[in-house]
Amino acid sequence: MGSGTLLAVTMIRLRNLTKTYDGRRILRGIDLQVEAGEFLFLTGASGAGKSTLLKLLYAAERPTAGGAWVAGQRVDELSRHKLALLRRKVGVIFQDFKLLRHKTVLENVTFVLRFQGLGARDAHRRAYQVLKRLGLHHRQSALPEVLSGGEQQRVAIARALAYQPRLILADEPTGNLDADLAGELLSLLCDINYQGATIIVATHDHSLLEAMPARTLVLNQGLIEYDGSWPP
Amino acid sequence: MMRHILEEGLALLRRRGVVSVILAMSLTVPMALAGFTTSMGLWSRPLVALESHATVVRVLLHPKMDVSQRQVWIAEQARIHQDWRLSEIDRETLEKRLQVWFPYLEDLLEGEHAIELPTLVEVEAADPEEVTALAEGPTVIAVGPTSSIDRILGVMARTMTWLLGGISVILLVSAFLLAATWIHLEVYRNADEITIMRLVGATESAIRGPFVVAALIPGIFAGVAASVGAWCLVRMVAVAVETVGLSPPVFPPWLVAVEIGVGVILPIVAALVTMGRHARAGETD
Repeated sequence: MGSGTLLAVTMIRLRNLTKTYDGRRILRGIDLQVEAGEFLFLTGASGAGKSTLLKLLYAAERPTAGGAWVAGQRVDELSRHKLALLRRKVGVIFQDFKLLRHKTVLENVTFVLRFQGLGARDAHRRAYQVLKRLGLHHRQSALPEVLSGGEQQRVAIARALAYQPRLILADEPTGNLDADLAGELLSLLCDINYQGATIIVATHDHSLLEAMPARTLVLNQGLIEYDGSWPP
Repeated sequence: MMRHILEEGLALLRRRGVVSVILAMSLTVPMALAGFTTSMGLWSRPLVALESHATVVRVLLHPKMDVSQRQVWIAEQARIHQDWRLSEIDRETLEKRLQVWFPYLEDLLEGEHAIELPTLVEVEAADPEEVTALAEGPTVIAVGPTSSIDRILGVMARTMTWLLGGISVILLVSAFLLAATWIHLEVYRNADEITIMRLVGATESAIRGPFVVAALIPGIFAGVAASVGAWCLVRMVAVAVETVGLSPPVFPPWLVAVEIGVGVILPIVAALVTMGRHARAGETD
């Protein structure tokens, strides 16, 4: 299959996806298909290739071999402009948050909505709603540097959810959250998934896997060791 | 989208307020000097024309000579010196030429006590030194300047024009490099933010636009300030030149538009070139 359109129900397709860093193979020929509306956990030990797999999906990295298709488009062959448009359909919750340090909490969320074409007022309204849902509306004027790790993570989550993406990629989204907040986040992701979005969560937190029955992929040294419901 | 880019550009300017002011000032100095040198180059242009008259010697005939006397004199000289080409310059052309350097001449030529201009005859000769012998005749009141002086003046003026033009270009290039360096530093400082913007779906125009705006606004200020600065410099020279009775240099109004135009275009080009080369943070590895 070339870079043409896949069936509409397939959100992600990986074919022999391989990534090598300095001769070290991080991913070894992964084949995977994720349907639209699926909820998928990606787990495995540190260095198993979870984050690399996500990075290949939002084209922060280029595969050494093989290919990745997202929403029918081969991501490593997209032009800059088309890649930007695709990334607008993908909400990424980064492990290191990636917040704009000169912008307030509210601005960090409205920012992505503005260049998606929303007017200032609509963007502010929607950003405020998402922040409120994540319990951060009272911190809307704060700069990221004064926030705790958990609060920064929630801003990153708010930004990823604000524009209602069709696909959400979350890299260790509960890493800085306490158990209650982690549960709330999971519940929020479930709601969004229920509304039709495809969600992939990379985590090594087994309590998260146990809290929600979903398809789980276990990566081990760059290979899919297990693909099914949790526990294996 | 445009409004968003403008807002982001203004936010970038606010964050880097002091540096932006320094950039505006740094652009102002070379642009003002470029405006000044251009004005001076334009002012010296009539002198450059002298170079092309290198073999022409000017002869002033007595003002009391009437038309027929002048024609006889010219015919006689043409008969004696067959390799000479003589042409009488009409009064209107002579007035125009003289007024370039002696602006008060108009007053002297009008009214009850108006002075009478002598007749100017231009003699084109293979050996201009031969023409100087005419000065001994009773009808000739002056001969010269000789062609060698014309040539020296013309060459000097031409050299000055090229030199000033060259300096203007160098100054504008330095202004361009200043703007480009500033943007390069800003891109470097904001590399993380550019990466994040790319990862969350910002298009190239959304990423680069704010930098262009942030460079454009100091550029516009620099264009206006440079016009004022260049005008002041030209005015200073004009005051000095007027005291010796020469026609002063002027700062032409169209140069204001050029200065502002350069202030707009130069940072935009610098931003686009620099961003194209350096703003690659966050692109797919």
